[in-house]
Amino acid sequence: MRRSGWFALGALLSLLPTQALAATPVYEIEIRGHLFFPEELRIPADTKVKLRVHNRDATPEEFESYELNREKVIMGGRSASIFVGPLAPGVYPFFGEFNPRTAQGRILVVEGD
Amino acid sequence: MLLDAVILVLREVLEAAFLLCVMLVFGQVLALRSRWVGLGLLLAAVGVALYAGGMQGITDALEGAGQEVLNAALQMTVFLLLMPVLALGVIAARRMRQCGRVLPGLMAAAVGLALVRESAEILIYVRAFSAVDEYRLGVYAGSALGLGIGASAGVLAWSALRALRPARAFPVCLGLLAVIGAGMVMQAALLLEQVDWLPAQPPLWDSSWLLSEQSLLGQLLFAVLGYEATPGPVQVALYVGSLGLAALSIWLGYRIGGRANDTL
Repeated sequence: MRRSGWFALGALLSLLPTQALAATPVYEIEIRGHLFFPEELRIPADTKVKLRVHNRDATPEEFESYELNREKVIMGGRSASIFVGPLAPGVYPFFGEFNPRTAQGRILVVEGD
Repeated sequence: MLLDAVILVLREVLEAAFLLCVMLVFGQVLALRSRWVGLGLLLAAVGVALYAGGMQGITDALEGAGQEVLNAALQMTVFLLLMPVLALGVIAARRMRQCGRVLPGLMAAAVGLALVRESAEILIYVRAFSAVDEYRLGVYAGSALGLGIGASAGVLAWSALRALRPARAFPVCLGLLAVIGAGMVMQAALLLEQVDWLPAQPPLWDSSWLLSEQSLLGQLLFAVLGYEATPGPVQVALYVGSLGLAALSIWLGYRIGGRANDTL
């Protein structure tokens, strides 16, 4: 009885909008000297993840990616969150639009990571 | 730095310049007095200053979703303003008289808000990087070049539309305003996905092998049609739905305006 109750709760939870679940994995990215650290990030396939981008520079940066369809201005010394995925396996480059020559990175989406 | 600034400014200016030039031709075909342009630019100037000045607070608002929600709201509002612009424009064309101040007012608001959305980023960029000595010259020169190229593209599009007979230019403007509006709704959806207000779904297709969003043509089509190489089902549905609403507005205009005048 108790088990079926949990099962029913689980089934109910799975119907809720995804943001209600706290299980979204978080990945941290830093911007320092107009560079991304790490410049390569591995995330699991078919999973929504939250990127926390910390801009340690004094100047603003815009996190941008054509492949991920994402763009967000992050002011100097501030942090911002960007949700990404669920994605199919592959390489998804991103860049800092304010310093596109140095600020380059990519997200590697891998199966079963 | 110079080239980076050119590209950044150009990308933002293209979209705004295109909407502005289609609206200009729309107003000219309807023989509207061009005062609305000044009003739109004034609105844009005030809006951009407020937006760029409040960026820190905006970004942190709504648990970090402030920037996206505000940008999406701006773009949705532009779309919603375009709907009565289409209907009233058709009515004005049919009856060959102007619909008072409502139509120019709506046009000014739409152009003003679109400009705020596109140029706030430029202001943030220029202000921050021109403060760094080694970047200053490149940022100013590059921004000026980007602005110049974007404005030239706008003038070119404007001349091309003006070269058409009014009876031809008018429906072309209606169509272009409809696709620009639909593109804005689609972009708004992407922004809401970015902060998890809308569920993100796998893209329906990937046409980046055919036409990359980064290519010049891709950028141009993005500015005009809102081209996305990897749109999700929500975006496609919203795009089609928005085009449907635009068609409905135009139809309503013809319906109310009657067939009194067949010149346009």
